[in-house]
Amino acid sequence: MTVATASQSTPTLTPRAGPRTAAPQSGFAPWNDPKKPPIVRFEGITKRFDDFVAVKNITLDIYEREFFALLGPSGCGKSTLLRMLGGFEKPTEGKIIVAGQDITDMPPYDRPVNMMFQSYALFPHMTVEGNIGFGLRQEGMPKDKIAERVDEAMGMLELRQFAKRKPNQLSGGQQQRVALARAIAKKPRIVLLDEPLGALDKKLRQQAQFELMRIQETTGTTFIIVTHDQEEAMTVASRIAVMDKGDLVQVATPGDIYENPKTRYISGFIGDVNLFEGKVSAVADGCVEIESTEGSKLKTRSAEPVSVGQQVWLALRPEKIRISHDQPSSTVNAIPGKVEDIGYLGSISHYHVRTAGGQRITALRANAAHAVERSISWEDSVWLDWPVDAGVVLTR
Amino acid sequence: MSSSSSPDIRRWYVIAAPYLWLLIFFLIPFFVVFKLSLSDVATAIPPYTPIFSWSTGIWEFFSQLDFENYTFIFGDPLYINAYFSSVKIAAVATFLTLLVAYPMAYGMARAPKAWQPTLMMLVILPFWTSFLIRIYAWIAILKPEGFATLFLTKLGIISEPLQIMNTTTAVYIGIVYSYLPFMLLPLYASLEKINPSLLEAAQDLGSRPWRSFWQVTFPLSLPGVFAGCLLVFIPAVGEFVIPDLLGGSDTLMIGKTLWTEFFNNRDWPLASAVAVLLLFVLIVPIVIFQRQQQLEREAGR
Ligand SMILES: Nc1ncnc2c1ncn2[C@@H]1O[C@H](COP(=O)(O)OP(=O)(O)OP(=O)(O)O)[C@@H](O)[C@H]1O
Ligand SMILES: [Mg+2]
Repeated sequence: MTVATASQSTPTLTPRAGPRTAAPQSGFAPWNDPKKPPIVRFEGITKRFDDFVAVKNITLDIYEREFFALLGPSGCGKSTLLRMLGGFEKPTEGKIIVAGQDITDMPPYDRPVNMMFQSYALFPHMTVEGNIGFGLRQEGMPKDKIAERVDEAMGMLELRQFAKRKPNQLSGGQQQRVALARAIAKKPRIVLLDEPLGALDKKLRQQAQFELMRIQETTGTTFIIVTHDQEEAMTVASRIAVMDKGDLVQVATPGDIYENPKTRYISGFIGDVNLFEGKVSAVADGCVEIESTEGSKLKTRSAEPVSVGQQVWLALRPEKIRISHDQPSSTVNAIPGKVEDIGYLGSISHYHVRTAGGQRITALRANAAHAVERSISWEDSVWLDWPVDAGVVLTR
Repeated sequence: MSSSSSPDIRRWYVIAAPYLWLLIFFLIPFFVVFKLSLSDVATAIPPYTPIFSWSTGIWEFFSQLDFENYTFIFGDPLYINAYFSSVKIAAVATFLTLLVAYPMAYGMARAPKAWQPTLMMLVILPFWTSFLIRIYAWIAILKPEGFATLFLTKLGIISEPLQIMNTTTAVYIGIVYSYLPFMLLPLYASLEKINPSLLEAAQDLGSRPWRSFWQVTFPLSLPGVFAGCLLVFIPAVGEFVIPDLLGGSDTLMIGKTLWTEFFNNRDWPLASAVAVLLLFVLIVPIVIFQRQQQLEREAGR
């Protein structure tokens, strides 16, 4: 008999609905407004290191006050893209435009952006105050004004009591806050963050994510963050750009990326997903019928232009699948199977079901809502079903 | 019990070994020299008195020791000038070495990683030749009819032969050349340690390259600057070969004075007093050097 495992996957990946902290205006979607000029525009950016193409012809607009996340696996070129915006790498091809000005050839010290480095890059010979005030001193700002601004930044990040310490006298979390304070002290229009929380442990990281969002909101700055942690991107970002091997695969809001992933890669990258492989058997009324290799007929509403006979995949989130002992009245999208494994997570449970065709499918059920129903246990024969608008048809 | 005591004893040996080394090769010789400095010159072999013997007794021996040589040194401006002149020449030469070595060390630290061992090799390579031979080579270069004159005349930069040989300038050239690696290596070590992203951060915050050098690179290389300066300054103060071979009669250095006293005047006691005082002159920089190394070890932890 199989034993329930609680560690299989956490249910926290669903994006938060409703107004977000990073984009307080519920209708914050400047990317949908064709009249709105972007604050950052990458225009056909390619970066080659010798023969190796790190970034491939990327065109991307980022808008004012966005919290924009560049997400992708290690080595996909996200740091390179960010460093080109910071001025530390020169694009091999293409243009970078910030606030309408072409800054492709502008040196880093003239750019209206500040970066928070992955290793923090705090100056070891300067105090916390000295580090935070460094950028302001370069502008020749009067001393009392600098002190004021440094104090403001320290207050925002609760660093006042460490003002006179050197970086090596601080904990990792404190160093991270100093690095952030230094990056925002000059009140730049854009703050770049390269894996800003990568060195923190999980608990501290979650706390720091909310801090980032709070700072981004109160300062009204555009934040561009690089991360390979999808959970982090989902939490903080107004939009996410998913990169893979130097390509931009999809740019969308966290909700869109979750609900309408463009490729199998993205669907699996963010959250859990069930994938049915199959061939299109019919296309009608905005619906696609798929003959799955596992042996069932699946029907899904889809705007994706597909033709009969084409190989496609149906991506289905576990929480969209209904699991029950009774055969559903509809014969569409209903598959029988046997429960192999149950992951009990308190408020919800994961059910891993083996279909007759041999595919393993994960369904998710909230425990409270179904308390009255007969509980499902191992080896039970069950039916899985879902509505026609639950899945997404993927061609790649 | 042997099983528990033998490792104990072995540990004591390990701890005692460096002290024993210091005792035999530093402290005892120092006391020999110090005793000599309190003695009087004599026309004998060895050329000083008193010599301890059991027949005269220990009190007789001690009563003959005095600070006469020290009063003599302090009374004669020649020696005081020689000390000051040595310190000055060593300080100027150290500064010049720093000026030459810093850009080299910086270039080495910034060179592609693959080149760095080769560059390091090139710095150390001259050390495979004897120090004396290299100084003699400088005579051949610097003398009025030497290579430097020849070369610069060919280029049309000078028309008269160079008058560098047997001047303090030649001594500076000799010291800078000979001690360059002692400056270069600690500088390189501290520059190489600097995280390049610190400079990116400085530039990102609006600091131009030249300013970021002074704001970030230079302060972070200070441990190397200190170590290098002391490693050059300390031996340069007592330097004898370079002023003797390259310097002229106007180059006053305490090492030369000491040599003259010892070999020309055969005044071993006075030479010993000069040496003991030289040690005291150097104690301050040596102590600074030790403390600085200590601080860096602590910071490195
Ligand atoms: N200076 C360089 N010279 C040569 N190749 C480089 C250089 N910088 C980056 N690359 C290569 O470009 C690719 C993308 O690097 P990049 O640092 O942008 O990755 P990343 O997406 O940030 O990955 P990670 O999450 O590991 O930081 C990598 O394969 C890397 O090896
Ligand atoms: Mg990176």
